[in-house]
Amino acid sequence: MSTPALYFPDTLADAADILDAYDGTAKVVAGGTALTLLLQQRLVAPQALVSLRDVPGLRDVTYADGVMRFGALVSHSDVARHPEVHRRLPLLAESFAVVGNAQVRAAATVGGVLAEADYASDPPAALLALDAEAIVHGPEGDRRIGMRDLVIGFYQTALSPSEILRETVVPVPPAAAGSAYLKYTARSREDRPCVGAAALVRLAGDGTCAELRLAVGAATDVPVRLPEVERSAIGRGLDESVLAELGDAYADGIEPLVDVRGSAWYRREMVRVWARRAIGLARERCAGEQSAMGNGSAQ
Amino acid sequence: MSDAVEEPDGADQVKLAGEDGCVTVRLEVNGRPRVLRVRPTETLLDVLREQLGLVGARSGCGVGMCGACTVLDHRVAISGCLTMAALCDGARIVTVEGLSDGNGPLTGVQEAFVRHRAFQCSYCTSGFVLALEALLSRDPRPGEDAVREAFSGHLCRCGSYSRIMAAALDIANGRRAAGSMAEER
Repeated sequence: MSTPALYFPDTLADAADILDAYDGTAKVVAGGTALTLLLQQRLVAPQALVSLRDVPGLRDVTYADGVMRFGALVSHSDVARHPEVHRRLPLLAESFAVVGNAQVRAAATVGGVLAEADYASDPPAALLALDAEAIVHGPEGDRRIGMRDLVIGFYQTALSPSEILRETVVPVPPAAAGSAYLKYTARSREDRPCVGAAALVRLAGDGTCAELRLAVGAATDVPVRLPEVERSAIGRGLDESVLAELGDAYADGIEPLVDVRGSAWYRREMVRVWARRAIGLARERCAGEQSAMGNGSAQ
Repeated sequence: MSDAVEEPDGADQVKLAGEDGCVTVRLEVNGRPRVLRVRPTETLLDVLREQLGLVGARSGCGVGMCGACTVLDHRVAISGCLTMAALCDGARIVTVEGLSDGNGPLTGVQEAFVRHRAFQCSYCTSGFVLALEALLSRDPRPGEDAVREAFSGHLCRCGSYSRIMAAALDIANGRRAAGSMAEER
């Protein structure tokens, strides 16, 4: 096994310098859950590991001006249990609460899950549905990257080798919006998702759809939204037939991948079901909808 | 390390492997300060077992799914197999050996596991016990859902789940009853 040098910079600028010097052969460590596995299985052999543990300020969760910010080292369980996140971004809390198991959630971080760009993960779909952005620090300073442009392929991000994802910024949707993250696992409950569906719905005064956002994760290399399908829901009542239509449009509009959790055909059929259910549940959770929708189930 | 790479200014900012292929890590294990030499990519689980002889943390799946390697760090349950020992400076690790000293009394959680015979082969037991200890230090009166969440990453291949849940709920409900009695007073 390789013996990497271990760095503990206390500023992001130092961290970026170290990464720059190693020119792509160093890895950033946050919670370490994924990287430890990759090292143990010898899937990566970095010359250096750059731990962010001594950089101050990366464990903060803050809210100001309609935006919540999450430092790179905020853990999954911090997000899942944070009262402010529950109140303002329930979709995000829901997605982080179902990752892996309690021990993994205690260690794994917000920065880590995005920078690793593992397709079979829950938070990226929710972050895409919420129009989140990553603040990235590199040798030339900070830049912002929207979720759509951050994850560009199978375990691939738009980050350069000397850039560090320092913060994730999430605009808070209107309070009246309803949302739901549904994780479908094909094997055990603690498994990684076969399909994840993150939906956000806002209703107009007459009960028709004013806004729909739906991101499907784990079914393709990168989480997907289909803007034209989202727009097609606007102005319509989200009854069962419209929900089925939207589920069909997502199922037929993506190219699912194949892995141990499902064939492409199976995934497509599961997207059909879980996209529909996620939108339905988000609609039920819209403020004031509890009494209006007779049967309260997400089926 | 390649020659082109300059070392950063602060000596405390880098650890380079010595001739033994190891780096130093300073942490606390079961209340005792330790200075250990570990390989840079070695897991905390391997270090606890092989260097310190703390074999209460077990290797099961090796990928963070079975819970047999669970230890506490600052009272939070983590997977020893997903933790790099070299990064653990300042950690406060407790293994099942640190809960009681072997001669003294068991913890309430351990007593409940014995009382309910919540194990067969016992390979998973230290993980379940530590998971419950971690939950109780965060939430002294957990409900059943919280217990299930705390046990989410723990497998018992003997299938003693019903007895494990009975032991856990015994503790949780006992504490709840004690708590509500205190509130009534």
